[in-house]
Amino acid sequence: MSQAPGDPPPRPSSAWIRYRRIKSAIGWFLAGTALVALSVAMVQILLYVFLQGFHSLAPKLFVENTVGVGGGLKNAILGTALLSGSAVILSALIGVAAGLYLSEFGEGRLGTLTRFLSDVLVGVPSIVLGFVGYVTLTVWLRWRFSLAAGAITLAVLMLPYIVRSTELALRRVASGIRESAYALGCRDHQVVFKVLLKAAAPGIGTGILLALAISAGETAPLLYTAGWSNYSWSGHLIHEPVAYLTYVIWSFIGEPFHSAHALAYVAAFLITFMILLINLLARFLIASSPHSNR
Amino acid sequence: MSKLRIHPLVRFPALTALVLAGFCTLCPTPSQARTIHLIETGSTLLYPLFNLWVPTYTSSHPGVQITTEATGSGTGIAQASADLVQLGASDAYLSPALQHLHPGLLNIPLAISSQMVNYNLPGLNNRPLHLSGPVLAAIYAGQIRYWNAPAIRALNPGLPLPHHLILPIHRSDGSGDTFIFTQYLSFSTPAWMKTTGYGTTVSWPSVRGEIGATGNPGMVQALATNPYAIAYIGVSYRSAILKDRLGQAWLKNRAGQFVFLTRSTVEAAVASRAPHTPPDQSISLVFAPGANAYPIINYEYTIVKKHQASRHMARAVREFLDWAISASGGNAPAFLNRVGFAPLPQLAILQSRRQIAEIH
Amino acid sequence: MWFRRLLALFALLVPLVLLAIAVFLVFYAWPAIHYNGLDFLWRDTWNIGNQYASPIQRHGETVMPGAQFGILFLVAGTLGSALIALLFAFPLGLGAALFLSEAVPHRFGHFVSFFVELLAGIPSVVFGLWGIVFLIPFLSHHVYPVLARLFHFIPFLTRPIGSGYGLLTSSLVLCLMIVPFITATLRDALRSQSTEMREAGISLGATRFEVATRILLPGQKTALAGATMLAFGRALGETMAVLMVSGNALNYLPHNVYSPISTMAAFIVAQLDSALADPTGMAVRSLAEIAVLLLVISLITNGIARLLIGMLKEHTL
Repeated sequence: MSQAPGDPPPRPSSAWIRYRRIKSAIGWFLAGTALVALSVAMVQILLYVFLQGFHSLAPKLFVENTVGVGGGLKNAILGTALLSGSAVILSALIGVAAGLYLSEFGEGRLGTLTRFLSDVLVGVPSIVLGFVGYVTLTVWLRWRFSLAAGAITLAVLMLPYIVRSTELALRRVASGIRESAYALGCRDHQVVFKVLLKAAAPGIGTGILLALAISAGETAPLLYTAGWSNYSWSGHLIHEPVAYLTYVIWSFIGEPFHSAHALAYVAAFLITFMILLINLLARFLIASSPHSNR
Repeated sequence: MSKLRIHPLVRFPALTALVLAGFCTLCPTPSQARTIHLIETGSTLLYPLFNLWVPTYTSSHPGVQITTEATGSGTGIAQASADLVQLGASDAYLSPALQHLHPGLLNIPLAISSQMVNYNLPGLNNRPLHLSGPVLAAIYAGQIRYWNAPAIRALNPGLPLPHHLILPIHRSDGSGDTFIFTQYLSFSTPAWMKTTGYGTTVSWPSVRGEIGATGNPGMVQALATNPYAIAYIGVSYRSAILKDRLGQAWLKNRAGQFVFLTRSTVEAAVASRAPHTPPDQSISLVFAPGANAYPIINYEYTIVKKHQASRHMARAVREFLDWAISASGGNAPAFLNRVGFAPLPQLAILQSRRQIAEIH
Repeated sequence: MWFRRLLALFALLVPLVLLAIAVFLVFYAWPAIHYNGLDFLWRDTWNIGNQYASPIQRHGETVMPGAQFGILFLVAGTLGSALIALLFAFPLGLGAALFLSEAVPHRFGHFVSFFVELLAGIPSVVFGLWGIVFLIPFLSHHVYPVLARLFHFIPFLTRPIGSGYGLLTSSLVLCLMIVPFITATLRDALRSQSTEMREAGISLGATRFEVATRILLPGQKTALAGATMLAFGRALGETMAVLMVSGNALNYLPHNVYSPISTMAAFIVAQLDSALADPTGMAVRSLAEIAVLLLVISLITNGIARLLIGMLKEHTL
C-alpha cells in the first residue's frame, strides 16, 4: 500500500479498534487483579494478626513480666522500646551528620563511596550484622547478651536508612534558601543548624521514624546480641540480657502450649500495630511539612 | 558575647532529647542489686520443663531470677562454657572432645525424656504397628520402600498394610531428637552406624518421598498432612499426635520384645542402665537391655561450669539444681507429667547431687 | 572548614563500618576459606563431622573427622526461592503500579498505594508467624493437593507435597515482602511523567492502556529493572520469614516446589546452634564464610541496581 504525501491517514477499521479496546480491557483487568490480589493478601495478614492478637489481649500483659511461656509482656515491650530507642539515638547522631555531609558537600569521591556503600549496607542481611555483633561484642569484648551489644548492632542496621533519608530531605530544600543564607554571611555550621535542619526537619524526622520502625521489627540481629530475659531491664548496659517482642513471636510459636501461642499472637499484634502507627505518623509528618514539595 | 549560649550541637536534635528523656524514665534504679539473675539457654526439649519449674521456684526463692531461652543444645553447651550463661541445657552429654576443650564443665541429668515413632496410615492409625531398629533404618535408608514390604509384614502378621510408598520424615534442623533417634538406628543396626552414624544433624540418605520438617511442630504438621508418612517426635508432643489421630508404633527393644511408650517401659529402661552410669554421668540410655525396656529414652542434661563467677552465683546454681532433681521439687509428677518426662532414678539423683556439690 | 571536616568524619563512618565488618568476617572465616577451598560452592554436604571422635588435622586445619562444608543446596535454595518470588512479584508489582498510577483517581491511588507499601513495613518475623499459623495449613490442605493433581505431568509440581514448609511457600511469602519495592518505585516513576505525554498518546487515538504500556512504561524500563534488582537482593538476604516457613532443608536439593529448602541467611540462624557445639570452631567459621558470600551478593546486586538507576538519573540520587 503506497500513500501519497498529504493524503489523510487510512482510518483504522472498527474491528481493529474493537480488538484493541478488548485487549486494553483485558490488560486493565489483569492489572486490577494484581492490585486486588496484593490488597487481599495485605488485608488478610493484618486482619489475621490483629484478630488473633486482639483475641488474646489482656491488661495484665502490660504489667507482668514473662514467666516461662506464660505471664505478660512488660519486659519485652520495655525491652523493644529500650533497644530501638537507644539504637535510634546512636544512629541518628551519626546518620544525620553523615547525611548532611552527603547533601551539602558530598559531590566528591567520599560522597559517592559513602552513598554506594550505605546502599550495600542496606542490602546486607541483618543476620550477618547479628553474627558479627555476637562474635565481636558478645563474646570477644565479653559484654555477654546485653543492651549495649543489641543496640549497637541495631544502630549499624539503621544507619544507612537515616543517612540516605536525611540526604534526600536536605536536597529537597530549595537551593535559594542556602544561597541567601550564605549571602548573608553565614558560616557552614550556621547555615546547617539555623536554616537547613529547620527546613528539612520533617523529612529527617520521617527518615528517623521509619528507621525506628524497621529496627523495632528486627529479630535476627538481636537473637545473639541482646539475648532474652524474663525480667525487666535493671539498668546494666552490659552483662544483662534484654527482652524484646519479636523474640516472643519467633520463639513461642514453636512451643506446644496455648499460653505460648497467645503471647506470640499478642506480641505480633503489638509490634505490627506499633510499626503501622509509626508509619502513619511519618506520613503525617511529611504531609504537614511546609517545605516539602510532595 | 552578651549572654551564654548553648552550643547548637547540644541543642540540635530535639528528638534526641525526647528519646533520651523517655530512656531515662524507663530505667528503673538498680536497687535490687542483691538479686541473682541466672540465665538458662539450650535444648528446646528441656525448655518447656524449665518454664514449668521457674515460676514455682522463683516464687518461693525471691532472691533469684531465672531467665529461660530455647536456642538448642549446641548453644547451651557453648554459652555455658564461655560463661555467657550459668545453665546450659542439652539433650546429649558432652562429647570427649568438648570435655577435653572445657575441663571445668559438668553435665548433670535433670530428667528423662523419651521419643515416639509415629505414622499416618489411613485406617490403621489405631491398630498396633510393630517396628524394629533395622526396619526403621532400612526405611530411612530407602531400602524398604513400601508399607507392605516383606520385612514390615513379618513384624505385623494380619495387619492389612497397603502397597504405598513410605514417606520418611526427618528433622531438617539440628536437634536432640535426631540425635537419639539415629542412636537407636545406629545401636540396633551396624550398617546404619557405618554409613550414617548419629548426631544432632546427620547426612540423611537420599530417599524418594522423604520430607524434611522443622521442629517438633513441623514434624506433627508434616505427618498429619501426608498419609503414609512416618516420623520420630518428642514425647512432649503426644497430645498433638492424639489430637490429629495419628499412629504410635511399638518398638523392638534390645531384648527383642515390642514395647509401647509407657511410664513402666521407660522406668524399666532407666533401671537397666542407671547402675552403669559413670560418675560424670555421660551415658546414652538408648537401646537399653531389659525385656520391658523402651528403646528411645535419654537423660536431659544441664551443662554447668564448675567454677562460677561468684560464690553467691555458685550457691544459687547449686540450690536451684538440687531442687530441680529432687522428687519433691522439680522431679515431682506435677511438672514431669505435663511434658511427658520421667523422673530420675534414685541412683542418678545421688550422682547428680555429687556433681552439683562440685560447683563453687 | 572545621565543620565540613567534622561532617566528613561522620560520613566516613559508614564506609568504615562496612569495611570493618567485611575485614572482620574475611579474617574470621579465613581458616574455613582455606579448609573448604573453592569446592565450598559446589559441594552438597554440610557435615560438622563426628562430634564424638577426636579432632584431626586436615589440610593444615584442626577439624572433627568427617567434617565437610559445602553449600550447593543453600545456593540452590537461595536462588530458587528468590527467583520464584520475583516471578510472582514482578507481574503483580507491575500490574498494581500501572493500575494505581493510570487507572484510578490520584487520591484513591495514593491511599491504596500507601496501604500496599505498608506491606514492606510488616516485620519479617510477623510474616513468618502468619506463614506458620495461616498460610502453611491453608496451602498444604487446600492448594498444594489440587496443584499437584492438576499438574501431575509437570515434574516439579507433582507429589509428594510434603509438610507445606518449603520452596513454594517461601517464595510466596518472599513475594509479598518484595512486591512493595517494585510497586512503589514504578508508581513514583510513572507519576513523575508529564501529563503531556499521556494527552499526546490519547490524542493519537491510543487507549489508556496503550498509553500506559507503550508510551509511559518504556521510558521507565531502567527504573523498573533497578527496583527489580533491589527487590531480588532483598529476597536473597531475607532471614526470619524464610527461616520459619522454608523447612530448613539440610544437604539436599529440592526435588519439587514443595520440598523444604534453606537459604544462606536463614541457614546461619538455623545452624549457629549446632555449629557452636563443634569444639574445633571450624563449623562457626564456615558459617562466617557464608556471611562473607552474603556481603558479596549485596555488593553485586546493589552495584547492578545502582548502575541501572544511575544511567537513568545522574544527579538526583
